[in-house]
Amino acid sequence: MSSVGKEKEKDIAQDHSESEGEDDEQTDEIDHTLPEGSTPSTSSNKKKKKRSKALKALNSLRGGGKDKIPQELVDVVLNKVKTEHGDTVPDANEATVRAALEQMKIRDVIEGKSGIGGKNKKDVGTHKFWGTQPVPQLGEDAPEEDGWIEPSKPSSEVRQEPYPLPKEFVWSYVDLSDDAQLRELWDLLSANYVEDDVASFRFLYSAEFLRWALQPPGWIKEWHLGVRVASNKKLVAFISAIPISVRVRANLLHASEVNFLCVHKKLRSKRLAPVLIKEVTRQCNLRGVFQALYTVGVVLPTPVSTCRYNHRCLNISKLVNIGFTHVPSNMTLARMILIHKVPDRPRLLDHGGLREMEEKDIPQVADLYSRYMKRFGMYLEFNQDEVRHHFLSGRGEGPGSKDSWKKPRQGQVVWSYVIENPKTHKITDFFTFYSLPSTIIGHPKHDVLNAAYLYYYATETALEDGAEEDGRLKKRLEELIGDALIIADQSKFDVFNGLSLMDNVQFLKDLKFGLGDGLLNYYLFNWRTAPLAGMAPVGDVPTGKGIGVVML
Amino acid sequence: MSTPTPSPRFEEAAAYLSSAPSLSKVSDTVKLELYGLFKFITTSHSPNSSRPSIFNITGRAKWDAWKQTETTYGDRDGNAEERYLQLARELGWIEGSVQSATQSSTSAVPPATKPGDDDEDIWDDEETTKRHQGSSASMGNTHVSTITEHEEAERIAGTLHEYAVTGDIHGLQAFLQSHPTTDLNEKDEYGYTPLHLASDRGHLPIVELLLAKGVDSTIKDQDEFTAVELARVSEHDDIVAVLEKAAG
Repeated sequence: MSSVGKEKEKDIAQDHSESEGEDDEQTDEIDHTLPEGSTPSTSSNKKKKKRSKALKALNSLRGGGKDKIPQELVDVVLNKVKTEHGDTVPDANEATVRAALEQMKIRDVIEGKSGIGGKNKKDVGTHKFWGTQPVPQLGEDAPEEDGWIEPSKPSSEVRQEPYPLPKEFVWSYVDLSDDAQLRELWDLLSANYVEDDVASFRFLYSAEFLRWALQPPGWIKEWHLGVRVASNKKLVAFISAIPISVRVRANLLHASEVNFLCVHKKLRSKRLAPVLIKEVTRQCNLRGVFQALYTVGVVLPTPVSTCRYNHRCLNISKLVNIGFTHVPSNMTLARMILIHKVPDRPRLLDHGGLREMEEKDIPQVADLYSRYMKRFGMYLEFNQDEVRHHFLSGRGEGPGSKDSWKKPRQGQVVWSYVIENPKTHKITDFFTFYSLPSTIIGHPKHDVLNAAYLYYYATETALEDGAEEDGRLKKRLEELIGDALIIADQSKFDVFNGLSLMDNVQFLKDLKFGLGDGLLNYYLFNWRTAPLAGMAPVGDVPTGKGIGVVML
Repeated sequence: MSTPTPSPRFEEAAAYLSSAPSLSKVSDTVKLELYGLFKFITTSHSPNSSRPSIFNITGRAKWDAWKQTETTYGDRDGNAEERYLQLARELGWIEGSVQSATQSSTSAVPPATKPGDDDEDIWDDEETTKRHQGSSASMGNTHVSTITEHEEAERIAGTLHEYAVTGDIHGLQAFLQSHPTTDLNEKDEYGYTPLHLASDRGHLPIVELLLAKGVDSTIKDQDEFTAVELARVSEHDDIVAVLEKAAG
């Protein structure tokens, strides 16, 4: 249900307002409740009008009477749910949709006070900050042409001095080559990198992972930006950027990928995050980089796409025990385990040409990657050095052997496999996944959730004529990712996660992934483009095909 | 969080309410408040599962009621219990009139260790008591996704198998009193006996009650599992022991 994207709901609300007039008095009343910062300072009259139309429609939802939610709205949502989930949502009917819409407090969502269903709540001050940044504001129409919001400028015209911090803090570049500083960052993130305090899980990035994620070819030390307490030098906040070449439709942008923004829990009131964002932007600008890509669980102005997490449960007993999933009322745990059991040995291992990726494969993998990714609206361009870094450098200590799929190496963060055609020795496919455990907060028995995340993959099959239409691609992906699941299971991962992007929707359901409650919003900084197809199709672009970027 | 320690008075009121005829006449609001208080007192202060999906309206309302209880009473267990007793009295409970049922069915969960708050306090202590909002202008993916509640058909409340699944011992006792001739070995539409379900879900008091009533513990489910096998898979050692002992 919540896969009815936020943008979509707004559209629905607006459409509805065209057909149902409401008096202006009510609209005004609601306008007062809008957070100050959520109205963009540059908003045109047209935009304002649109906004109040939406509010009018929403207001009509709130109004008294038996039929609070207009029939058209219910119908549109219901259709949407049915087309996206088919029979997986057996309870979707008029009454439940109606009740759901009431519970979701759609108005709060549109005002940015919360995500759908009150999830992903955050302070309204956030939008005030984003209202000052070169990002598309909520409610803006899709641009007619792609392009920047603020022009690039020579580095001499970029602000030369760092943004000021409250007097008890100082800026500090965090040198991840230094084990002690890497450890400080790990400490900060593992204790504070969490969105809300009712959370049961918190990401636990390993030290190896952080190095792998933050030191790709061309990394820049000024882009690993920390804030320390002046008196005792304790690291209390962090933000990072890495250089990327991102293709967004027709344009190739030399941009940065911003990630790992983290502020110590006790400093959340200091509003350090906006300063961190402005300072990392300045550091990027000094290097001639004026666009950025980032992902956030919550809705900010304005997502270019939204993807949904899906989870393939492997260690059912543990996942039920820690509340990650639960036993449906019509079955037993034992049955659930039977249903989710995967084979002991990868199917493509013996005659299919499956083996671990090696250094010698890099040119072919890079070539296959670049041809495969062209099928998506937004993706990263990788040169061979980058392919080597992303797929091989995180493979951990120890030799590769025929049996290395059975057991992870010391410090392994990424698992990369290729299919080599036994006759031609050509690499026809590859798949990769990475390890990102989470701390399980306050559980008596288990303290870490071992999660694997599907990373990049590619197959020649996708590039053959008609392979998508006649189901060959789906079949091939099920073989490949099916083996990824087996390898992950052997490596004692509890769950294997994948987003609704790229070609994933073709295999998620049949490989028994379950829908997650987490959404991932994709954002572009200082770049306008129309929405890209993530968990919902956009125009005639099917689900997932807009997004080819997996962020760590 | 604290270890739930329901008092005998509470147990008695709960036992009364589990079969109180007056309960059928009260509004959903009162029922939900009772539910929230009950879970708050017997299980934990706040729900330990994620919020049920919006299609699971009943489950979601119950979850919200539980959460609301936490918001209202915080750590004041006494006040929560007082309120529960008050509602029970309003619904006709007279203290001392009900034989307290079996000892508390709730397994006492050890208090969760509070996540490390041992950092040196160098700044704004007063802020830490405020409810943290999201990490404001955050970038980076900081929410760990979990499986959404499945939208499976809910079991019909007040049936033999529903009591076995939910572990509602008082409900089951009342049911058995009013339906003395029920076949306790009956399989539900999915092929499970009440003993299968209680053994799988880990409800020891229900298992004990069913065994005392002489149910057949050798019946196999659709996957050829007996109750003891289900309990073993689910690592409910106490139930495994009881079932093995019953089998002799």
